[in-house]
Amino acid sequence: MGPSEQAAKPATAMPPLHGVRVADFTLHAAGPFCAHILGLLGAECIKVETVERPDIFRKPHPVYGRMGAATFDQVASNKLSVQLNLKQPRGIELAKRLVAVSDIVAESFRPGVMERLGLNYEALKAVKRDIVMVSVSASGQTGPERGYAGYAPLFGAAGGLGTLTGYEDGPPTEIRHVMDHSTGLTAAMATLAAYLRKKRTGAGQHVDVAARDVACGFIGDALLQFAATGIALRRTGNDAPQIAPHNVYPCAGEDSWVSIVVSTDTEWRAFANALERPALLTDPRFASAHMRWVHRRELDTEISAWTHAHTREAVTRILQAAGVSAFPSYTAQDIVDDPHLNARGTIESRVGPEGEARKVVGPPWRLSRTPAKLDGWTPKLGEHNHYVFGQLLGLSDEEIEELIAARVIY
Amino acid sequence: MSDLHNAPLAGFTVVEHAAGVAASYAGRMMAVMGATVIKVEPPGEGSALRRAEPLLTQQPAASALFHYLNAGKRFVTCDLESAQGRGLLSEIMERAELFIDDTPVSRRPALQLDAPAIDARHPQLVFLSVLPFGAAGPHADYTAYELNVFHAGGEGYLMPNGLTLETFPERPPVKIYGHFAELIGGTSAVCAGISALLVRDQVGGQFVDVSVQDANISVGCFAIQRLGDGVLENRHGRSFKYGGVLECSDGYVGVLTLEQRQWEGLVKLVGDPEWALDPALRDPLERSRRGAEINRRLRAWAKTQRVDDLVKQGQALSVPLAKYNGPLDILESEQSKARGVFAPLELSALGSVPAFTAPFQLNGEALALTRAAVEPGADNQAIWCEWLGHNTAELAQWEHHGTV
Repeated sequence: MGPSEQAAKPATAMPPLHGVRVADFTLHAAGPFCAHILGLLGAECIKVETVERPDIFRKPHPVYGRMGAATFDQVASNKLSVQLNLKQPRGIELAKRLVAVSDIVAESFRPGVMERLGLNYEALKAVKRDIVMVSVSASGQTGPERGYAGYAPLFGAAGGLGTLTGYEDGPPTEIRHVMDHSTGLTAAMATLAAYLRKKRTGAGQHVDVAARDVACGFIGDALLQFAATGIALRRTGNDAPQIAPHNVYPCAGEDSWVSIVVSTDTEWRAFANALERPALLTDPRFASAHMRWVHRRELDTEISAWTHAHTREAVTRILQAAGVSAFPSYTAQDIVDDPHLNARGTIESRVGPEGEARKVVGPPWRLSRTPAKLDGWTPKLGEHNHYVFGQLLGLSDEEIEELIAARVIY
Repeated sequence: MSDLHNAPLAGFTVVEHAAGVAASYAGRMMAVMGATVIKVEPPGEGSALRRAEPLLTQQPAASALFHYLNAGKRFVTCDLESAQGRGLLSEIMERAELFIDDTPVSRRPALQLDAPAIDARHPQLVFLSVLPFGAAGPHADYTAYELNVFHAGGEGYLMPNGLTLETFPERPPVKIYGHFAELIGGTSAVCAGISALLVRDQVGGQFVDVSVQDANISVGCFAIQRLGDGVLENRHGRSFKYGGVLECSDGYVGVLTLEQRQWEGLVKLVGDPEWALDPALRDPLERSRRGAEINRRLRAWAKTQRVDDLVKQGQALSVPLAKYNGPLDILESEQSKARGVFAPLELSALGSVPAFTAPFQLNGEALALTRAAVEPGADNQAIWCEWLGHNTAELAQWEHHGTV
């Protein structure tokens, strides 16, 4: 290990949300990621699906080019799975009983659906007075566009993030899964805050997250600039105003790139020296940060000629040693192979129930005394029916069998 | 939420020592959620982010980014190179529940900001460390800006897709606007920080090591999942087989139909043309195989359409469609107004300006921005004297010595 900060006290082993239960009615990506974060922090997440309405990873995803079910779903990987048919009154009744033994409810239906099912915040508050409920939707639970359907790229479009992303002479650009998952991460942040408040005050809260507004949050600086000055930013590719070099450069090898950013004069001197190109320092085109920005395309050409002759790793090593910000453009393979990420536990090796080994993404934080952790594999649909309906809700085996036969547990 | 009735972090005090975007954003979100966040800057010009693009004013340079990241905070100055300055920081740490810091690991011991030193002095304090690659591991001392962490997290390599990639297949990957990766890092940090606050009564303070790279790998986890399925994703293989960005006569829309009924709605929206009524296209797998042909048809049709008409008519048919909105669209949108997404921020040179608050409501209420960012040290008197009980003569002396 390189430089590191040692925890001053040993871990207590229990993660921070140990003992917290989440009734998870979310599907697709944004909502499930929210519950996944709570699960990594130690909450017991009970994922609710049905045979007729399974989560998207359980079926083909042809628009994405996946012609069968996924073999593993990261954002379901630390959850329990139950089947519960909300089209039946007894399904609704069981859902309420599940909420009654939970601390947090997560849902990502189209706004209005939970109300129609009799499971909106007011109804659930009547079941569990201090429940914290998080609703994740495209545009929020209120407003004239609350009913609009959407997926990640459309949140990015409506929220302006996709509009400002792309080459300066090209079209706007789709923001992909990271838009869903950043929505889920934001939802988890607000839910954790609401749960902390509940612990202190005893009062529950309804957290209403709008995915398009999460996208707006990523352009909050541009929105403020526009509101104050009337200047509307445009797409600028990899440029950052007044900073050059600031780009992604080709390296030796196929589709192999390195990101390099030089912001200050100190970094510029270190950069030129690391390249063993002192002439850059006397070149009038590059004499100041502003001049480097004006001549950034010429600078890019010079740098590309150098990076082309090196591997991404060599460029990174040389520049980081000089204190210059450079890092390879990592593929998924690079990520799972990276010693730093394996040392941190960001990447973990897991073995599935049938002996299949794979690399998975572990918790993204290190809490010294109450570590987060990734438990389990992707649950099979209904794998935890007996634990949840039997142990938690107190139904007998006969009652469970009857509910299965009646397609309530379905 | 002017009375902070619903603000979940009301009553918590956070000290923020942040030079970068990720840690500043963590402090910002805690402030917006009601915490008292005291930002500690070096005396003089304060944080370099105060002068970072995009700008509100050129002369003097006033940063929209800084104002966005620092609304709602208190501003003190304190020279951590001096023992007196470190002592002052320690005084506010003693009264706080959480400390946010993004000092590079190698510099921390000299400033007494390493985890053991802080734990020894403030055992009840949550130390939230926010660094590009975290505080431990072979890359802990690597330096990185937004572009670098975006590529370290894996999403950089995978952008762009769809129409942008088809238009420029040979260009280098393109970044997401602004400080996407760093804001992800800040959001992830708040999750971990609040989690540590949740158990503070039971276990006391602790060291929380947040890495912006880790946070981005976490939100980009589908690429790792796909790798486990035997698919190493790249820009070209990741595009949706059909749908995506469509150029209309007056702008762009995005469309994505993942469900059968959504596809059927799209066929209706296009006007039931013969090509779309081909029975073979009722099969989603066949649509996937013939995605390029479908896109050719959709793109030709979209060019004759107006954006607002398409979105309204499409959404009425349950087709997931959205306009690629610009800042003006967003500020003037009825949806933004109904949700109270923007709140007035009093900027000294520019007056009242609507500023983005937060992407969620709590109990049906939008969040508020309590105050705009002010000059470095503008709250020195309030914090060092009125809150901590030092007298103004001491403050004057510290100012004289450059400590604050």
